[in-house]
Amino acid sequence: MPLLINRAVADDHWLLVDEDNLSTHIDEDIVVPYELFAANTEALLNAKGTLGVRVNGDQDLNLLLQYLDKLALVAIEFPAFTDGRGFSFARILRRSGFTGQIRAEGDVTRDRLEYMERCGFDAFAIPADRYSADIANAFDEVSVHYQGSADDERPIFRQ
Amino acid sequence: MYQYNEQDQTLINARVEQYRDQTRRFLAGEIPDEEFRGLRLMNGLYIQRQAPMLRIAVPYGLMNSVQVRKLADITRKYDKNYAHFTTRTNVQLNWPKLEEVPDILAELADVQMHAIQTSGNCLRNTTTDHFAGVIPDEIEDPRPWCEIIRQWTTLHPEFAYLPRKFKIAVTGGPEDRAASQVHDIGLHMVKNAEGDVGFEVLVGGGLGRTPVIGKVIREFLPKQDLLTYLEAILRVYNLNGRRDNKYKARIKILVNALGAEEFTKLVEAEWEIIRSTELALTDDYVEKIKGFFEPHPYATDAIDGLAVLENQLADNQEFNAWYERNTREHKIAGYRAVVISLKPHLKPPGDITDTQLDAVADLADTYNFGEIRSTHDQNLVFAHVAAGDLYTLWQSLRDLNLARANIGTLTDMIVCPGFDFCSLANAHTLNVADQINAKFDDLDYLYDIGDIKLNMSGCINACAHHHVAHIGVLGVDKGGEDYYQITLGGSSREDASLGKIIGKSVPQADVANTIETILQVYVENRSEEERFIETVRRIGVAPFKERVYAPVN
Repeated sequence: MPLLINRAVADDHWLLVDEDNLSTHIDEDIVVPYELFAANTEALLNAKGTLGVRVNGDQDLNLLLQYLDKLALVAIEFPAFTDGRGFSFARILRRSGFTGQIRAEGDVTRDRLEYMERCGFDAFAIPADRYSADIANAFDEVSVHYQGSADDERPIFRQ
Repeated sequence: MYQYNEQDQTLINARVEQYRDQTRRFLAGEIPDEEFRGLRLMNGLYIQRQAPMLRIAVPYGLMNSVQVRKLADITRKYDKNYAHFTTRTNVQLNWPKLEEVPDILAELADVQMHAIQTSGNCLRNTTTDHFAGVIPDEIEDPRPWCEIIRQWTTLHPEFAYLPRKFKIAVTGGPEDRAASQVHDIGLHMVKNAEGDVGFEVLVGGGLGRTPVIGKVIREFLPKQDLLTYLEAILRVYNLNGRRDNKYKARIKILVNALGAEEFTKLVEAEWEIIRSTELALTDDYVEKIKGFFEPHPYATDAIDGLAVLENQLADNQEFNAWYERNTREHKIAGYRAVVISLKPHLKPPGDITDTQLDAVADLADTYNFGEIRSTHDQNLVFAHVAAGDLYTLWQSLRDLNLARANIGTLTDMIVCPGFDFCSLANAHTLNVADQINAKFDDLDYLYDIGDIKLNMSGCINACAHHHVAHIGVLGVDKGGEDYYQITLGGSSREDASLGKIIGKSVPQADVANTIETILQVYVENRSEEERFIETVRRIGVAPFKERVYAPVN
């Protein structure tokens, strides 16, 4: 699955672990599902590697907001392209001071990349069958923004 | 009215090219149907029963003559020489070709128009009072605030994939001609005890399957906080609105499920966080936008036309009737606001031809500072006509079949296109509108009945707002036949209420007769000067029901 970070194709060095292999990899750079993080918060925060959490719109973002300085990555799942909760999640993470990677996963395709980036996503896992070499053009289709964005909070009347 | 600057134009042009590329990729098979559906809807393009339908935005119902001429031209080049105005004050084309839509959008962009967010589960066109800026008792002209909301909603990156569509209406004072209480958000300009002007905020109104009157969640919102507060409401909705069932996805369901108090707490908590961010409005920006809505250069001698007008009214009964029904008071003496009826005899309500559009544009240039407004009830308004011009304007409109003196009467119906065009509809509406028009053609009878609001929807989605009509007609399908359920006592005005169903639905052939029976009961029961809605409220629906369903001897 092609991964874009800051609009460029990148390799993924993160390992997604589950309950079964958590103990084997706990000191590596890992991404854990939200439930696993909720159940093993202390152990994960004290482990040696850097930590990412995968979250979806049904889960409580407030838990992550307590530990933002300890997280290096938050992966937000889009179960369907129509599910817009992830946009607000990214926005809330950035305004709460999160500077790590925010990765969009799931139903992530070209025509939402620009809005996702403006909300604070900087990494995008694109399904292989929806990836094309010119996909990064999607980020600059509309250059004027009435609203503020994650990298510039000023709406048009303060720009 | 608002004029695009370079940035606005750049955005609109870029959006056209973005949509052109989306269309190209869809036709090349690079975007799945379901995904393109989401994209085209956010650009106002539906796939209807017979052809696609393109809904063009008319922000808060305000257009200039150049734009109206462009609409005429587009209907000639790309459609079948007519267009249809909607309750969101937008305009619809019924026969565009999917492949040509990018070209239509490019033509619209040339005159500062677009189809952005006229459909889809996103922030829709903001509507307001069609007499904004000219009514005497307005607290403040709501249109600059509508423009500020338009800019904020346009291509909002966070709220493009909401649980469901989202509609905002703004009124400039207590009078409500924008059905604000049945909107997702209703904003009313109010003055607080200190004399400051701000907004009363209502949330969770709506029609459709579950009609609800909106609830006040904040009695006074300072002006500079408008966008931060709207953003707080939208964020709470985006995160908490139901996504598992589209019939329970509107914000009204969330507000009802949480209770208005709990919902308000969530909004206020979010607002506390963002209230002092960059999104707080600046005085400079507000003043700049207000500058686009300065009063027109009214003629100081317009008042001299009143004497001429008086003679013309005395001399011509037909003109007099039109003046009484189709014009309204203007805050400047010597001017009137004119409603142009798009409810002619036996023609689809809200429809207008290319010839009429061109002529209306010319008349607007001659008599109305080049301005044209579309209304929530599917008519047009010339808001600033000098008294001395009314007679000649009326003659021109009459020649165009646009001067039927029926505004506010039974035949000034809001009607959705129904089964003839819409793929959601269960029943026809246009033929029933004809039936009602044919039956109630006698203007003297209509004037005797007086102010009354009849709305007819072809399905439960309630696009024609039948729940909030004095007489609501809802088309239903019964074993393949069109039947019509009738409600009485609804109102979309400041005294908003939901109509009550009077009984089992009636067959298509009986709709106009049933309405006649209802009107008989009104005439027999009304006290002097009592309007239909007041009689219904006083005596209840029982006497109407009794008569309508009385056994035939």
